[in-house]
Amino acid sequence: MKRRKFVQNLLAAPAVAPLAAQTQNQQQRPSTQPNTPARQVPQQPHEMAQLAVTEVDLVAPTQPRFFTPDQFSALQKLAAVLVPPLKGKPGAMDAQAPEFLDFLISVSPEERQSLYRNGLESLNRAAQDQFHTNFHGLEAKQIDTIIRPLLVARYWPQDMPDDPMKHFMAQVHDDLRTATANSREWAENGSASPTGGRVRRFNRGRGMYWRPVDPVVRG
Amino acid sequence: MATKQHDVLIVGSGHSGGMAAKILTEKGLSCLMLNAGPEADLQRDRTMKSAHELPYRGFGQPGRLPHVFQANEFNANQWVDEKENPYTHPPEAPYNWVRVRLLGGRSLFWARQSFRLSDYEFKPADIDGTGDNWPIALADLAPYYSRVEQIFRVSGRKEGWPQFPDGDFTDSSFPPDSESIKRFTEVATKKGIGVSKWRFAQGRDGLASSINLLLPDALATGKLDIVENAIVREITVDKNTGLANGAYFLDRHSGREMHVKARVIVLAAGCLETTRLLLNSGICNSSGVMGHYLVDQMYGVSVVASVPEARDGKAPENLMGGSAFMPRFRNLSKKDKRDFIKGYCLHVSSGGDASPHFFPLYGEELQRKLDGYAGSCVSAGIFGERVPRYENHVRINNDVKDAWGIPVLHIEARDSENEVNLRRDAANTAEELFHGAGWEVICKTDQVNPPGYSIHEVGTCRMGDNPKTSVLNKWSQAHDMKNLVVVDGASFVSSGWQNPTMTILSLSMRASEHLGEEMRQGNV
Repeated sequence: MKRRKFVQNLLAAPAVAPLAAQTQNQQQRPSTQPNTPARQVPQQPHEMAQLAVTEVDLVAPTQPRFFTPDQFSALQKLAAVLVPPLKGKPGAMDAQAPEFLDFLISVSPEERQSLYRNGLESLNRAAQDQFHTNFHGLEAKQIDTIIRPLLVARYWPQDMPDDPMKHFMAQVHDDLRTATANSREWAENGSASPTGGRVRRFNRGRGMYWRPVDPVVRG
Repeated sequence: MATKQHDVLIVGSGHSGGMAAKILTEKGLSCLMLNAGPEADLQRDRTMKSAHELPYRGFGQPGRLPHVFQANEFNANQWVDEKENPYTHPPEAPYNWVRVRLLGGRSLFWARQSFRLSDYEFKPADIDGTGDNWPIALADLAPYYSRVEQIFRVSGRKEGWPQFPDGDFTDSSFPPDSESIKRFTEVATKKGIGVSKWRFAQGRDGLASSINLLLPDALATGKLDIVENAIVREITVDKNTGLANGAYFLDRHSGREMHVKARVIVLAAGCLETTRLLLNSGICNSSGVMGHYLVDQMYGVSVVASVPEARDGKAPENLMGGSAFMPRFRNLSKKDKRDFIKGYCLHVSSGGDASPHFFPLYGEELQRKLDGYAGSCVSAGIFGERVPRYENHVRINNDVKDAWGIPVLHIEARDSENEVNLRRDAANTAEELFHGAGWEVICKTDQVNPPGYSIHEVGTCRMGDNPKTSVLNKWSQAHDMKNLVVVDGASFVSSGWQNPTMTILSLSMRASEHLGEEMRQGNV
C-alpha cells in the first residue's frame, strides 16, 4: 500500500504549482524589512494569460549557410532522389530536409562535417567525370549509376561501412529519412502509417520528452 | 548548527542502494543516502512532444552524448552529461559508459529482464574449469533471489533447467504462442535448444524501480534521510582504527564541500562510479585487483528473417507476434566442443517491420520493399558472456577532471578471440534456425556494439575468499576495511549471460542483512 500511495502521489503532482498559490505564499511571508515604508518590489500578477505563439518554421525558412552552393545543390538532388514524396506523404524536399541538414551539420563535430563535404564533393566530381555536369544536373538513371554501388545493407544504424563514400551515403540517407519523418510537414500530413526507421521509434514523430531536470547553471 | 548523526552512509540510490536502505532501516539503523543527482518528477519533467518541436528535430544536439547510443533528443536529459562527467578510453577501443544520476539511478529505466545466475556462473572452476569461482554458490543466494522476485513481482515460466534456475514467480501465465513462434520452437527443440519465455519484473504502477519498490519502505521507518545533488568525492579513514569514518561530498550546484561521518559506508553508486570513488580515495586495494576484471555482456549480434506467408499484409491471424527466449545452450557439457568457452542467450521477437537500412535500396523501390515486409519479420538478438580478464580495467586519469574537479576514470576494455568466436556462433545459429523454419534471412551481423553498451558493467571490485586476489569478501565487505561494503555490480566475479539486476538486488539484500547483524552484535 505504501508503495502504491507513493507512486499515486508522484503521478498526481501538478505539472506546475499554481501561480496564484505561489504569489499568495509570497504575500504571507513576513517581511524582513518591516520598517521600510515603500517596497520597490513590483507586484506579481495573480494570473498570467496563455497566449498562442507560432512555430518558427511556419513563418521563415532555414537559411542555408554551411555548404557551398555546389555542395548544397547536390544535397538537394540526393534528397529528391533518396526520399521522394510517396503514398501521400511529403518527401525530403517538401520537408526542407536539406535546409535542416545544412544547419545540423554546421553544428556537428568536425568529423561529420568532413564526411558530408567530402561526400557531396565526390558526387559532383563523379558526375563531372562520367556525365560532364554537376550532380544536380543528372537524370535519374545517371544518378543511379553513381549511387547504387555505394549503398550497403546494415543491421544497426550506427554500423557504418569503412569506405568513406559508402559511409557518407549511408549517413545522408539515414539523416534525410529522419529529417523528413520528424518534420512538421510529415506530422501534419494524413494518417498513413509510416513503415520502418526512426518514425516508428518515435511513435509517428511523437514521444515522451524529458525536460532538463534541475540543470546545473553556472555564471 | 548541530548535524544529524547516522549509523550508515549509503552512496547511490538505484536498485542496490535502495535495497540496502530498505534492509538496514527496517533493522532499526539510521541511514543517510547521498545521491549525485536530483529527484525527477515524472509529471513536471516529462511531456509529450512532436519531434519537429524539438530544437534538433529529434536528432539530438550533435556531439552531446557520443557514447550513449540509447540516447535521442526525447530522452537526452535523463542521461549523465558527458561534458560535465567525462571519462577517457584509448581512441581505438571505445567504451560506452551509460549513466543516470537521477534519484533512483538506472532503476528508473532498466529493461526488467529478471534472471538468476546459475552455478555455471558461480562455480565455473568446479564445473568445467573455465573461470574463477565466486565465494558463494546459487544455494547461498537462492533465498534472497526469492524475496527479491516477490518484491519486484517477477513473471516467468518454470523449466527445471540447471543453467536457467527457476525463480519464485508471481505470475506464470502466458498467452498462447503465435504460429511463427510455435514453428521456431519446433525447429530449435529438434536441435536440442530449449525455448522458454522472458522473465520480467512487473513491478507496480508501471515502475519496477528503487523509487517505488524499495525507498518508500525505508522512508516509512523514519530512519532514512535522502540528500540529492550530493557528489561524493572521497571516503575518509580514521587514522587510529584504519576504518572508514565518513565522506567528503560536494553540492552539485554550488560546489560547496561538506563532510559527513558514519559508522559504516555502503557503496551503491554503480560498478564504475563506486570503483572510481574507491580509487580516488586510495583505499581497499591491498590486493591490487581493484579496477581490473571489468566485464559486461555482448549485445548487438542480430539476425532478422521474414516469414514469406506474412508479406504484403497477408499474414493469417495468429501467424505473427509474440516472443521466445533461449537461455544459454552452448558448452553445458564437456562433450560440447566449441572454439569458445561460455555461452549466450537468444531473444526472439515475431511480428516486426524491416528497417530501411537492411536494404541497399532507395526511393520508391525501398518503400515497396518496406511495405511488403511490414509485420513479417522475426528478429533474434543475443546477450553473450564476456570472459573476465585482468587486462580489461579502469584506472584514475588525473589529467582529466569532471565539473567538480574530481579525477575521472580511464577505461580500457577489449574483446578477445573468445568473444569473436562466440558471437559468430550466435549469428550462424540464429540464421540456421530461421532457415530451418523456412524463412528468408534479410539481415545478419555478428558484430557487437562497444563494451559497456549493454549497461551491464560489473566486476571491478570482485569478491573472493583470498584477500590477495579479491577486493571484497563473500559478504561484500572490503577485505581491508570491514565497515565498508560494496553492494552494486562491482562485486561480481563474472557477468554470465544473464541480465544482472536480480543478482545485484539479491547480493545487496544478503550483504545488508549480514551487515545489520554484524552491527547489532558490535562486530562492525
